[in-house]
Order: sequence, then C-alpha cells, then structure tokens
Amino acid sequence: MTDAFVRFWGTRGSIPTPGHRTRRYGGNTSCVSLRVGNALYVCDGGTGLRELGVSLMQEQPNDAIEAHLFFSHTHWDHIQGFPFFMPAYSSKNTLYVYDATREERVRQLLLGQMRSDYFPVAFSDLGSTIISRALETGETLIDGVCVRHIEQVHPGRSFAYSFNVAGKKIVYATDSELDLSIQNVSECDANRDRLRQLPAELVKFVQGADLLIADGQYTDEEYATKVGWGHARASTVVDLAVQAGVGQLAIFHHDPMHADEDVDQLLAVARSRVELHGARISVFGAREGLELRI
Amino acid sequence: MSFPKDDVDPEATLSLDSGPVIASLERAQKPYVLEQLQGPGAPRRFVLQLAEMIIGRSLQAHISVDSALLSRQHVQLVRSGPEYACKDLGSKNGFYVNGVRAHSAVLRDGDTLQLGDVVMIYREGE
Ligand SMILES: [Zn+2]
Ligand SMILES: [Zn+2]
Repeated sequence: MTDAFVRFWGTRGSIPTPGHRTRRYGGNTSCVSLRVGNALYVCDGGTGLRELGVSLMQEQPNDAIEAHLFFSHTHWDHIQGFPFFMPAYSSKNTLYVYDATREERVRQLLLGQMRSDYFPVAFSDLGSTIISRALETGETLIDGVCVRHIEQVHPGRSFAYSFNVAGKKIVYATDSELDLSIQNVSECDANRDRLRQLPAELVKFVQGADLLIADGQYTDEEYATKVGWGHARASTVVDLAVQAGVGQLAIFHHDPMHADEDVDQLLAVARSRVELHGARISVFGAREGLELRI
Repeated sequence: MSFPKDDVDPEATLSLDSGPVIASLERAQKPYVLEQLQGPGAPRRFVLQLAEMIIGRSLQAHISVDSALLSRQHVQLVRSGPEYACKDLGSKNGFYVNGVRAHSAVLRDGDTLQLGDVVMIYREGE
C-alpha cells in the first residue's frame, strides 16, 4: 500500500508572524509538502518553503532533487519563500512549476519578485532547471499521482488542488472565500446553525477526501468586517467538509492576528459545529513541523 | 596597535566589576521533560537527557513503559537545536499530538503526547 506523507512547513496567512504568540502553530506562510514514494509535490511557496529547502538539502545533499510545485495563486504569502528555496540554486535539480491559469502567470510572477529592485539574484541565474507546465482542465497524472484543480473565490483568482493516489485523496484549498458562494444564504442568515450549502461542483471536488487542508482564517465575528477579503469562516469550511464527507480537516492560513490560544478557540468552535451537524470529522489546526501519514 | 594611555586601561575592561555579566552562563539549565500522566507507571517524569531517545515497551528503550498497547520501539525523540521532534517508528497503534494522529511532529511546550494508553505532557527546557 502506498503511503502519502503530508508535512506542514508554513501555515500562516498573509504575513510571517514569528514570536512566542504563534510558536505552536507557527509563523511561516503557506507551504505544504506531499511525498509519495520518491515523488515530491509542494503546495505554495510561502516562507515555509525555505525550511523545506533546507530540509531537502540536509536529507539528500548529493542526490538530484525533483519537485512538482503547485501555487494556489501568487499573492506574496504564497510565493515569497521561492527565492530562498535552496534546491533552486543547484544545477542538478529540476523544478516543475504548474500553472492552472495556463498563461505562464506563475512563472512570470516568480520571476518578477526576483527583479533586482526586490532581490539580489535574478531568476535567470538560478542554477536549477525550472520547467513551466500548464495544467490541463480535468486531471493530470504526475509521477503516478492524479492531480486536479478547481478555481476558488479570491481576489485575483486562486486554485485548489486535489491529489489522488492509491485510493487516497488529499485536497489543498487555501485562500478561498467559501462564504461568497453559499447557495442557501437566506436560510443560513435566519439560522446560523443551518448547514451552509456550497456549490455542487466544489463539493464533488472535495468529496471523500481523507485530508482537506483549507483556509479557515476567520471566526464568524471577524468575518462580518472582512467580507470580500478572500478568506473563509472556519465554520463554513466545516460545512464544506461535512457535505463532502471528509475524514480529516486541517484548518489552515491562520490569521496573523491570531495567537495560538485564538487558533485553539477557533478550533473548539469548529469542532462543536461538526458535532452540531452530527458528523465525525477530525478537525485540527495545521501546525508547522507536523507530518501526517495518509 | 597601542592603547592611548590616558583613555583606556586594558586591565579595567577585564574586571568583573565594570564588565557586562553574561547571565545565561550562570543560570541553572531547565531540563526538557516528559511528564507521564496516564498509563502504567504514572504519574512520573522522564528527563530528556540524550539527543536521540526511544520510547517503547522494550526494556532497552530509553523510556520504557510496560503497556501492551505500545510497540517495543514505538517512537523516537530527536533533538535538533532547542527543539525535540517525535517520530513514529512504525508502531502498531501510532501516536497522537494534542489529539492528532501524527507520523512526526516538532514538539512545543505543553503538547500532549499519547501512545496507546500512555499520556504524557512535553515540557520544553532551556
Ligand atoms: Zn494567502
Ligand atoms: Zn491570497
């Protein structure tokens, strides 16, 4: 049986937040790795990507590193670690950068943030072979893993990815304002306990995931003043997980204002909502340095 | 190079009276600890003294707990700089950090580790 290993290298949203307040869940921005056999898939290149790079160089200093990189989108907190990803500097390594927009947008923005105004080393001086690949609609088989993507609601567009291998399914869905696509809004406004119905296409995309890693940045109270900012209420993410019959839900993209205790509280509310819906889903906060075997 | 005589007395800069005190060298070290709260042998505490330690049912394990729910070598603790990580050694029942089943995890002060019926709290040292 093939195992999939998922590790969180950065779980914070918007901006890195080092310090004691955020020590347990971590202060690095979005980066998650998925390892299946020898194949490595990386979701987002926030500052957590630097740590992944250091770890790869320590683990396999003499071997060629090959990595498949997927970006939810190109907001700073999802690309900022790329210039510090050490494997990108070695000629023996190969990085595949996938682009769901099919416009080479990801490559252009990774390159743009390394212009001399921002960074001392040019993208063209990176030693590794960096290959841009457009993702076809539907599914793409990459080193034995079936990858799909779907567009999310977020300013400037963002994409969720699903990875299927050996009957296991992992979905990475960050920077998504689920709340703007609730189908039964008036019912939910009248009764906050009501299950918020999400678009059938999205539910199908997530359906049966063993692990859903999803943006659940806000409490219900916070969201009231942050409509349109591109992030979801944790409670709405729970409702998506319930509808899609998810096994485990990792709440991700923690708000930079949230200390560890705030994340704990948000999780407690999320868990009680799972119970309210009579579901059995393990809900936890994505935390740096945590690795799961799926 | 020579010191201008009137300005600086090299002896004075070495004197403990006038020089800065490096406090951390003097402070007693706080140990890294696992406090076992539940399971066979609890309550008790284990001081983490080595950079690599094994928790398991085996008597040879650094932290040996006589529980049928533990594998002989259940998890390994590995220290890297100021932190310990806990890694599953292919145990039958796995381990949980704050209720989440993990393959490995970097531990933080106050984390609850559960291995079978053995529950421990991790206390970070300095
Ligand atoms: Zn973001
Ligand atoms: Zn964004």
